[in-house]
Amino acid sequence: MRIIQNVARMAETFGYDLDLSVFQMSIMMTIIDKEDPGKLLTQIRKIKPLHLNFTIVSELSTLSWDTYDKHLPFDEVTSSYHHIINQKRMNSALVLFLVAAANAAFCGLFRGDFIAMTFVFFATFAGFFVRQIMIKKHINHLVVFTTSAFVASILAGIGYVIHVGHTPEIALASSVLFLIPGVPMINSILDILEGHILIGIARLVNATSLIICIAIGLFTAMLILGLEKL
Amino acid sequence: MTNEMIWMVLLDGLMAAIAAIGFAVISNPPRKAIFVSAILAALGHSLRFFLINSGLDISLSTFVAATFIGLLSIAFARIIHCPAEVFSYPSLLPMIPGMFAYRTILSVIRFMQSTDTLQSQHFMMDFFHNGMTTLFIMLALVVGVSLPILLFPKLSFSVTRKY
Repeated sequence: MRIIQNVARMAETFGYDLDLSVFQMSIMMTIIDKEDPGKLLTQIRKIKPLHLNFTIVSELSTLSWDTYDKHLPFDEVTSSYHHIINQKRMNSALVLFLVAAANAAFCGLFRGDFIAMTFVFFATFAGFFVRQIMIKKHINHLVVFTTSAFVASILAGIGYVIHVGHTPEIALASSVLFLIPGVPMINSILDILEGHILIGIARLVNATSLIICIAIGLFTAMLILGLEKL
Repeated sequence: MTNEMIWMVLLDGLMAAIAAIGFAVISNPPRKAIFVSAILAALGHSLRFFLINSGLDISLSTFVAATFIGLLSIAFARIIHCPAEVFSYPSLLPMIPGMFAYRTILSVIRFMQSTDTLQSQHFMMDFFHNGMTTLFIMLALVVGVSLPILLFPKLSFSVTRKY
């Protein structure tokens, strides 16, 4: 995993050996002084639940190489680390719009017609909005996924009930796909392939439970709208 | 290849690009990586669309498209100094078999509710068909995109190095 290499590289710069295990909820790390192997430090730390942030991933990777190549002093590394971690995320209204457009395009990839795509756009807009609000309030993420799947599918299902367009079933099915945890799914398989089987399976179970939550939200909406089959 | 086919492939690429941009911004990537992932998604997805329409099955075409994305992503990673995963993952997202995954769960629930034996068998077959398709597409995506990373580990882990 990239993280192990990067952290080990930074430790090496300051003259330490490092071993690291990553689990779903915690990280276990030992650093050993290279000149005096008796001096070592082990700690287990909880992982704060963070949202995916590729900017941080990318910049921390750059920082680790910079540290290695330029032998940056420790204070400078720490300060730029804090600078990277505390960066603001992208404007949430823009994200909301782009996600809605993306899911509408996704519906188009499944051969949904234009009316279906419009329905999906608004359904995703509402669903993702609900998700953003609930994430801000730190509600359990399984509940967040179920609720936003429910909101999105009930809006997309209206097209089915009032019979507009030729492909309302595609609109209904693809309205919840923006919630599918794609990156954790890819990561979990990659971890398993690289031999980090424990964390890989943990991530896979996590992703699967999220998908089940999405399905529960969707079925609840279908029951309420009285839709039998899809 | 007919004109209509070319048009369809282009449209598919455009849709995939929009989808990739939207799904990428959820995970807050660096600005320059968003455009790269849009380009990669368009190329990859239209390649897959073309292969499926020429008669290849979906998981094999996904594998080819994902390998293509993986190779290109390492080339781009060296240009813009970002880890390849930052834009290769979002460009895979339009290919994630969400629809199959969802149909798998749907058929489980239908199977549970059904009382008729013949119908139950039908749902059972649906379950295995969709479940296996999901599994194999996911494997094809991940193996395909990480093949270049596994083949050239030195190269792909040092793209953010500036010297």
